[in-house]
Amino acid sequence: MEKLREIKMVRKKMILTFPPKIVEEPVTYKLIKEFGLWVNILRAKIDPSNGGKLVIELKGEKKQLEAGLKFIQDAKVDLEFLKQEVIWNKEKCTDCGACVSICPVKALSLNKETFKLQFNYEECVVCGYCVESCPMKAIEVKF
Amino acid sequence: MTTKRTFEQINKKIKDGKAVVVTAEEIIPIVQEKGIEKAAEEIDVVTTGTFGPMCSSSVIINLGHSDPPIRIQKAWLNDVEAYAGIAAVDIIMGATQPSETHGMFYGGAHVIEDLISKKRIKLKAISQGTDCYPRKEIETYINLESINQAILFNPRNCYQNYNVGVNTSNKKINTYMGILLPKLGNASFSTSGQLSPLLNDPKFMTIGIGTRIFLGGAQGFIAWEGTQHSPEFISNEEGMQISKGGTLSVIGNLKEMSTDYIRAAVFKGYGTTLVVGIGIPIPILSSDIMKYVAVRNEEIYTQIIDYSVPHAQRPSLGWVNYKQLFSGEISVQGKTIPTSPLSSYAKAREIAQKLKKEIVEGSFLLQKPIKKLPIKEKFKSLLEI
Repeated sequence: MEKLREIKMVRKKMILTFPPKIVEEPVTYKLIKEFGLWVNILRAKIDPSNGGKLVIELKGEKKQLEAGLKFIQDAKVDLEFLKQEVIWNKEKCTDCGACVSICPVKALSLNKETFKLQFNYEECVVCGYCVESCPMKAIEVKF
Repeated sequence: MTTKRTFEQINKKIKDGKAVVVTAEEIIPIVQEKGIEKAAEEIDVVTTGTFGPMCSSSVIINLGHSDPPIRIQKAWLNDVEAYAGIAAVDIIMGATQPSETHGMFYGGAHVIEDLISKKRIKLKAISQGTDCYPRKEIETYINLESINQAILFNPRNCYQNYNVGVNTSNKKINTYMGILLPKLGNASFSTSGQLSPLLNDPKFMTIGIGTRIFLGGAQGFIAWEGTQHSPEFISNEEGMQISKGGTLSVIGNLKEMSTDYIRAAVFKGYGTTLVVGIGIPIPILSSDIMKYVAVRNEEIYTQIIDYSVPHAQRPSLGWVNYKQLFSGEISVQGKTIPTSPLSSYAKAREIAQKLKKEIVEGSFLLQKPIKKLPIKEKFKSLLEI
């Protein structure tokens, strides 16, 4: 009987900032074609004179993902993970929960034991709805 | 109804460091295990807590006299207008007053929070001048230390059992209940449920004028019934009960308060408000009182109200209990929708625990009300004549 090899897929969400010089280079095309990664573009802001920003999610085998991330960095594209762009100021947050029902992807929830806010960055699509719903201005999105 | 203990007996135990105190959450399993009577024998005080937006809040400040003196007619603190029509240098800053330069993003509530944080606040005041108060204007800076009294005075706080807000229209609406998404996209509510002060004493048997309370981190008092105080008890055919509508007017010394328990908030499209932390101790004077403080979230009901209807009386879309609301989802007209509290249950728990600690350590004595709050009052509307 043939032994089935279990392939473990890794997901990573990030924000890519393209300087104006390389904004027209097909980086996402290469991530798919050359690195075999599954690419999901969640948000995009492109301006040929100022560059562009993409919120993307990459999925693939660990080795492919690491190679893809190295390619991005070598191409002089700035790479940041979500916690650096979606900033949750825990000092200002009072765990009121106003953001919980607004989030379209349920990235925000109140812990059932402590009733403190939990932010699951892996689900976040950087829509910014939580920013406008927060009465304490405890969430900021730099995108 | 047999009396288990009096205020005086409880206070003696507090001074002796022997008071048995639990929070309104902790009492629930105790009553489930031992029953009402036994729990009422053993427990002296149950503490409650809440931390939610309470728009009817203000600070009364006495600025002190300048040289030459001014009888202030109009005043602004950080470009937020205060009310100055009370004597020469007394002013009142209300939480929902917006800034004249920063729109809805800064308001009276922020001035109150900035004062507690000991920040410098810009004062501008003008007057027509009188013979005895010749000065016509002044511009200077004040802070919490430089002023005389800074009295937190909130005409309507602790609203008992506010309703749930939803929106059945096709457009998103910005309300004091937060952002309500179209077509029943979400629901918001504002209470600490089984920890809530007035939901633990819905008939005002122990809470009244003069009751000492935890207010914003300091010891304050209930000054009067709150505005719009109109307690109601409604039942439906399924035997569910709603007690709602009571409010409290509270007072305390702003100089003793902390931004851990008083914060300014901004509701998009609505404006600023003050989030106030209040904790009220309930003395277990009888087993009747124990019956009420043992109330659980699944027993406390409220109504779902459609905020897209622009009328004073809005339609009710049904009843729901706080266990359902705190679960994160409720069912409205066959649709499952996510819920958001606006009142922080985590903070309410922290306040009830802190109050419990202060009573156990002997630094917080209970005050028997000097006058009971009315329980039969009707809420009148403003008619156009």
